[in-house]
Amino acid sequence: MGDLIVNVLAKGKGLLRRALGSGQVTFKVMFSRFRQVLENHNRAIEIIADMGDKLGGDYLFDIAYIRSAYEGLYATLGSSIESFNVLTRDRYPQLKNVFGRIDRDIRLLVYDRAAEGPQAFGGEDQAIASLEFVLPYSSITLGMSHVAGGKNANLAELKNNVEIVTPEAFAITASAYDIYMRHNKISEMISALGGNDGPYKAALNEIRGAILSGAVPPDLARAIEGAMASLKTKCGDKCFIAVRSSAQAEDGASSFAGQFETVLNVPLESMRVQEAYKQVLAGLFSDSASVYLKEVGIDIRNIKMAAACVLMVDAKVSGVIYSTNPGRDDGTLIINATWGLGAAIVEGRADSDFYIVRKGPAPAIFSKRTGKKDSMIVNSDEGGVATVKTPVSIAEINSLTDEQVLELARQAVLIENYFRHPQDIEWAIDEGGRIFILQARPLRSEALKIESQVSGARVLMKVRGNVVQRGVGAGRVFVFKHPDGLDEFSRGDILVARNDSSEFIRIMPYASAIITDTGSITSHMASLCREFRVPAFVNAGNATQVLEHGSEITVVADDEDQATVYDGILRDVVEQARRSLAAMEDVYEYRKKRYVLRYISPLNLVDPLLEKFSPEGCKTMHDILRFIHEKSVMELIDNAMRGLKGQAAKKLDLPIPAGIIVVDIGGGVLNSVEPPGGRVALGQVASIPLRAVLQGMTYPGAWDSAPVSLKVNDFMTSMMRMPDIASGSEGDAWRNVAVVSREYLNLSLRFGYHFNMIDCYCSETARNNHVYFRFTGGATDMVKRSRRIELISIVLKNYGFNTKSKGDLIIGRLANMKKEDMEKILDSLGRLIAYTRQLDAVLHDDGKVLLYANNFLAGDYKL
Amino acid sequence: MSDHRVMIIDDEKIVGDMAKLSLEQEGYIVETFLNGETALVRLAEQKFDVVVTDLKMKGIDGMEVLRTVKSLYPDTRVIMITAFANLDTAIEALRGDVHDFFPKPVKIKELKASIQRALGG
Repeated sequence: MGDLIVNVLAKGKGLLRRALGSGQVTFKVMFSRFRQVLENHNRAIEIIADMGDKLGGDYLFDIAYIRSAYEGLYATLGSSIESFNVLTRDRYPQLKNVFGRIDRDIRLLVYDRAAEGPQAFGGEDQAIASLEFVLPYSSITLGMSHVAGGKNANLAELKNNVEIVTPEAFAITASAYDIYMRHNKISEMISALGGNDGPYKAALNEIRGAILSGAVPPDLARAIEGAMASLKTKCGDKCFIAVRSSAQAEDGASSFAGQFETVLNVPLESMRVQEAYKQVLAGLFSDSASVYLKEVGIDIRNIKMAAACVLMVDAKVSGVIYSTNPGRDDGTLIINATWGLGAAIVEGRADSDFYIVRKGPAPAIFSKRTGKKDSMIVNSDEGGVATVKTPVSIAEINSLTDEQVLELARQAVLIENYFRHPQDIEWAIDEGGRIFILQARPLRSEALKIESQVSGARVLMKVRGNVVQRGVGAGRVFVFKHPDGLDEFSRGDILVARNDSSEFIRIMPYASAIITDTGSITSHMASLCREFRVPAFVNAGNATQVLEHGSEITVVADDEDQATVYDGILRDVVEQARRSLAAMEDVYEYRKKRYVLRYISPLNLVDPLLEKFSPEGCKTMHDILRFIHEKSVMELIDNAMRGLKGQAAKKLDLPIPAGIIVVDIGGGVLNSVEPPGGRVALGQVASIPLRAVLQGMTYPGAWDSAPVSLKVNDFMTSMMRMPDIASGSEGDAWRNVAVVSREYLNLSLRFGYHFNMIDCYCSETARNNHVYFRFTGGATDMVKRSRRIELISIVLKNYGFNTKSKGDLIIGRLANMKKEDMEKILDSLGRLIAYTRQLDAVLHDDGKVLLYANNFLAGDYKL
Repeated sequence: MSDHRVMIIDDEKIVGDMAKLSLEQEGYIVETFLNGETALVRLAEQKFDVVVTDLKMKGIDGMEVLRTVKSLYPDTRVIMITAFANLDTAIEALRGDVHDFFPKPVKIKELKASIQRALGG
């Protein structure tokens, strides 16, 4: 036995050296880097949360705060990347570039720096060339307005997430703007913009001329061509698009409406589209736009123009909806409609039909006014649009049926609820009666006095805890059991769960509020709630028990550490809260300063199994953090498995024949002074996670279904049972390894033909904690093995794991959990490991899967 | 609704804009100024119940605003806000009979409560 271990050690050292290169990085060093990454990660998340809080509308803040908070974040994240690069031996060199790029965007905003000249970007030719010039809407999210512009980002968000119809479209990005300006040497002219009115106007004029007479760079032309070709596969050769401005800062700013250029009904031909694109670019430098930009304090040199290329709808009727009536606080919305295209309404040029609809569970038309629609705008056959006289027969009749009015109202409410803000929506209905949403943007609304009108409502809960996102939400209670159950979640429900989880992103856009019994204000879920503005409250104690699934409630989370839950749906209170937020967002300075969060808070990398989970997929500082965290855990797992034998290894005495060798990297084993090859008694195990797992594995009845009376800590029993190790030679049995510290465990177990792996960090700080469980293989046929996977999946989900399985492999992850809860989970995993050793031998049919899963969950381990 | 007048002086537009919106929701009449000079000119022609001023500003700073207000308009209460809070400035401001002193970022709710107290509410 001793020889064997020495051999293994020698082999292990060789492997270790090869794996780590000549740097002689031991696992201990790795582990300390990992802890540095964790610490920085927490600090950074706290800064992000604080920024979200301070910039959330409840504080008066100034640029000094943003600068100092951001510098703190920058330094923390920078040092996190350093540690991460050591940990991963520079395997993700791109991460630094991505970090640099996001940092530059942020600094432009935070320090109000003018766009630097082309020299300043000189070293980054490649970076710019590799950015995408054209994006399909399927790859654009709301947080990407700096890439695709505000209009694209809003419309793509709707297209991808809300059950409404929007026309096919693609975006020409801000990077395309960059390359166009550089290719035509206009960048220099833009950076040189200055001077007073006269010369300034002349310079603008010159820039417009240069843009219109410029050439589309070949790379960009090819990209546009590609997007057009893919559009043609959907609409045929004979179709038209609208090329619309989508400026970066146009994000959410309704006041930008009409400042820039839109070219309607452009035939899908290269030259025509390119010409329209140039017009849209030139629109940024029009006199009126520049005056406007100056007025609102945006430096024209800092803004880039993207373009939205949206398939034209052959509109029979078009118009605009204000999803909340700005003039009245009475729960109504207004719809304007006219024959043909809606440009006349948008530009305020023509009379139109006017409808007021009362919102609520049973929407109804409140009033109608028929406009005198003398003229209408229509698409011309060869492209462009024309104003024509409206046929007399229809000029003075309603352009919408009542059903259409109500359907439009329904969709408007859907959109308002999605964005949690009153919306200004453009729509069109084609000859076939199909409704298309063409655009949605936040509606400017009047500042209204906010008063809570909750008197008389019955209080169900008044709890102390932590408000993650302030606000008011009303809806039906949905008590979360396990991730699969989320399919049953309906739009507008209020999620009530035991723990917080980033898994909730699936329902977040539709949730009216989220309440969790435990959780942290700095978790990923918390960040997501802030991003989506979902009123959320964590550490609510026993909400899952007090609030009844299916009942209707209103959650008011308006204090820092207190939330009140009322019986029933209090519509007035919800409406008022929404208006209050809308009012603050109408303060331009506020919106402008808050904009910086777009580069910091949103989390795009949620699922580590998706392809975009890469440095290049990182769009925000939060993404970078998430990436580092996930990959650090993975790195640790890999290294624990590879490098473990370079450390002092000891056999663990257990009352079950699990054959585990323990490698202590710090505080995992008491009195660990013996030489390699010594033994560790169960009582010496100080590693919190290992102790919990072993407690489960040795739980009476879990390891062996035969009625044996095993006693934990019973040294004699363990000695007696040692020899009857189930499979192979005695040497084989000692291939199971636990790498431990006081708070860390990496356990790999092989029983017969199947493997279990647990990687876990279990400390007093909930958000440092993670557990990763992997199970694979098995001696029996594939069908039985799959059944075992199915059973494990049921059990893991029941414990709240996010699971992925394929064939006979299953992976479960869980994070951000209190130590005590984590210990319980680890105990259960220990039992599961013991229980599943021989399980597939008895899983003769699919029906047995559920039976045994339920037995296990009920504590019945008999097979 | 009250008809109390509140003046906000801060060299960053966002502070005035946000404060104006929040305080108008409470029914106050609010005027905002980006520097001490114009604010003092306005004070000479209109009585304000509360002046909320930033401490560090170019030209006439918050301390000077405080001194002027205390000598010319003793009924007007002054609330000081600053990004550069330290004990010395706080003590100096308090000696100058400042009603309240807040480090930035200031929680709007607390500012509202402070203004209410200043008005004897």
